[in-house]
Amino acid sequence: MTSEVKIPDPLDLDLDEEARLRRVAGLPAAKTPAGEYAGFESVGLPERPPQTEREREVYTLEEGEMLVNMGPQHPSTHGVMRLVVKVRGEVVTDVDPVLGYLHRGIEKLCEEATYTTVLTYVDPMDYLSTMHNEHAPAIAFEKLFGVTAPPRAEYIRALVVELNRVFSHSLMMGFLALDMGGITPILYGFINRDEIVDMLSAISGQRMLFNFFRVGGVNWDTNDEFLSRLGTWRDHVLKNVEMSERVLTDNEVFRSRTIGMGTLSGRDAIALGVSGPNLRASGVPFDVRKAHPYSIYPELEFEVITQSGGDSNARYLQRIAEINQSIHLIDQIVDKMPHGAVQAQVPGIIRPKPGRAYAAIESPRGLYSVYAISDGGPNPYRFRMRDPSFISLQAIPKLMPGRLIADTMAVMASFDPVMGGVDK
Amino acid sequence: MTAPAKAGALVRLLLDRFPDLAAGLWTDEDTVEVTIEGERNVALLQVLRDDPELNFFFLADAAAVDYGPTERFEVVYHLYSDRHPAWLRVRARVNRADPHIPTLTDLWEGAMFHEREMFDMMGIVFDGNRDLRRIYMSPDYRSFPQRKDFLLPDDAADSSAAGVRPLERPETWDLTRLSDELAPGVVAHAEAEAEAKP
Repeated sequence: MTSEVKIPDPLDLDLDEEARLRRVAGLPAAKTPAGEYAGFESVGLPERPPQTEREREVYTLEEGEMLVNMGPQHPSTHGVMRLVVKVRGEVVTDVDPVLGYLHRGIEKLCEEATYTTVLTYVDPMDYLSTMHNEHAPAIAFEKLFGVTAPPRAEYIRALVVELNRVFSHSLMMGFLALDMGGITPILYGFINRDEIVDMLSAISGQRMLFNFFRVGGVNWDTNDEFLSRLGTWRDHVLKNVEMSERVLTDNEVFRSRTIGMGTLSGRDAIALGVSGPNLRASGVPFDVRKAHPYSIYPELEFEVITQSGGDSNARYLQRIAEINQSIHLIDQIVDKMPHGAVQAQVPGIIRPKPGRAYAAIESPRGLYSVYAISDGGPNPYRFRMRDPSFISLQAIPKLMPGRLIADTMAVMASFDPVMGGVDK
Repeated sequence: MTAPAKAGALVRLLLDRFPDLAAGLWTDEDTVEVTIEGERNVALLQVLRDDPELNFFFLADAAAVDYGPTERFEVVYHLYSDRHPAWLRVRARVNRADPHIPTLTDLWEGAMFHEREMFDMMGIVFDGNRDLRRIYMSPDYRSFPQRKDFLLPDDAADSSAAGVRPLERPETWDLTRLSDELAPGVVAHAEAEAEAKP
C-alpha cells in the first residue's frame, strides 16, 4: 500500500519512485538483480567492495532478501555489538557479527603496565566475571615469577571465584528470559547478584571491578562483614535459586522458545571452539577445573556436569546445575579453609626471569586463558588473553540460518556472551 | 633433559612420532612446547588432532607474538587433549618481512576469529582463510596495533614511548603485502584514496 503523499527527502535526487519510498522507509535498495552485490550504503557504511569471499557472500542479496542491522545499541546484544542479519521475510538466512565497538586494546595496555597493574586492567574485560579475569593472570605471573600463594589465599580465591560464578549464572538466567520478553526472572537474578556483589565489595572494597587478586595471594583476608553476609546469603540462596528456576523451567512459553532452538552438536561445538557451560550443554565433559586442575580444585569433590540436548534449554539447565554445584563447592571451601597468611612475600615491582607461562581457568563463560611472556623487564613483553565469549560468538552464524529474527537474540542470550570480554 | 612426570609420557610419544621436534622441545610443570616453521602448522596439528593416542582435539588458544622489528612473528597454538595431563604449545615461526602462514580453519572452524584477530592486530596473513577481515578495528584502518613498533602515547618522561604521537603510525602501513587476490578491496580503496589526495 503506497501512499500518494510526497515526503520531502533531501537526499532524493533522481531516484525512481519505488527506490525513494524504500529509502524513506529505511530499507536497502532492493532493486538489485539476483546475485548482484548490494553495496554497503544500505547498512550504514560507505560503499566499498567486499574484502573477502565470505563478506561478498553475506552482502550479496538474492531476490526477496534484505539486510537488517541489529545493534550496536540494540538492548539485547549484551553490550555494543552489531549483527548484520540477512533475512527473507521473517526468516534469517545469514548472520555477520560486527565487533569492535568496545575495543579498548587491553592487551596492548597490559604490555605497557607492570605485572601488578595488569591485574587492574583486566577487570573491565568480562565485567560479569571480574574475579575470574584476575585469576588467570595471577596464576600465569606466579608461574613466571616462581612464587606460590599461601594455602589460605588459594582458598579465598576459590571462594570468591565460585561466588562470582553463581551471580554470573543467575544473571544469565534472567537475561535469557528478558530477551524473550519476560521481565520477572531478571529481577530475581539481580536479587541474587546484589547480595553477592555486596559480599564481594565487603572483602575487596570495590563493588564491580574488584581488583582483589595480587601476584602471590589476595589483597585482604576475610572480615566480619563478609562472613556474616556469606552466612545470611547461604541460608536462603537455595530457596532463591529455586524461586527463579520455578518461574522459567516449566514455563510453557519459555520451553517452546528454547527446546530445539540453536541446537549445537558436541562435534560442532569443539570445532567452533565453544567452551565452558555451552560446550558441556552439548554433552562434552570438558571443564578446566577437572581437565587441568588449578588452585585448590584437586582437593574439592565435584563431578563435571553435562547435558545431552545441546539446545538453548540445555544451556539454561546447565547453568542451574552449575549454580548448585558452585554452592556445594562454596560449602566445602568454607569447611576446609585453613588459617595463615594471605599474601606471599613479593617485591613491589616484579621482574620475572625471561620465560613463558600459560594459565587457563574455567570462567562462567568457558575457557579463559592467559599466555604471558617475560623478557626480564618490569612489564610483560606479551600478554595474551583468550576470552571465551569472543570465540563462542562464532556459533551464532552457524545456528541461525532458517530460524526467525526473534529467535536470534534468544539463542545468543543462551550463549551468555559479554561484550566487554568479546571486544577486549 | 628430565621432563616432569606430568609431561613425560607426552614427550616420549611426541618424539616417537616426530623425532625432528627434539630440537625445539621444552617443558614446564604443565606445558610441553614444540617449535616449528610456520608452513608446517597444518600438517603437524592435523596429526596431533587425529592420532588417537595424542588426541589433541580442542584448540584452546591461537595467538600471535611479535619479537620485534628485526626478529620474527610467532603464531602460538595451545592444544588440549583428554589423554595427557599437560597443555601442548606449538610455536610456529613466521617471517616478519613477509608474514604468511597457512590457515587452520580447515581443521578447526573456530580458528576463524583467532586468525581474524591476529590479522587485525599483527598483520599476519593466513593463506586460505576465506574471511580474513579486520575484526576489532574499522575496515579502513591500516596500522597493526599490537606490533612492537606501534608505540602508545605516554606522558611519562622516562617511558620508551615518551613524545610519540598517538594512534596510527604510517610507517607500519605496508599495503603491498596484501595481494590483489586476497584483498582487492583494500588495495583498490587505498589506491583510490591516494589518488584523491592532492
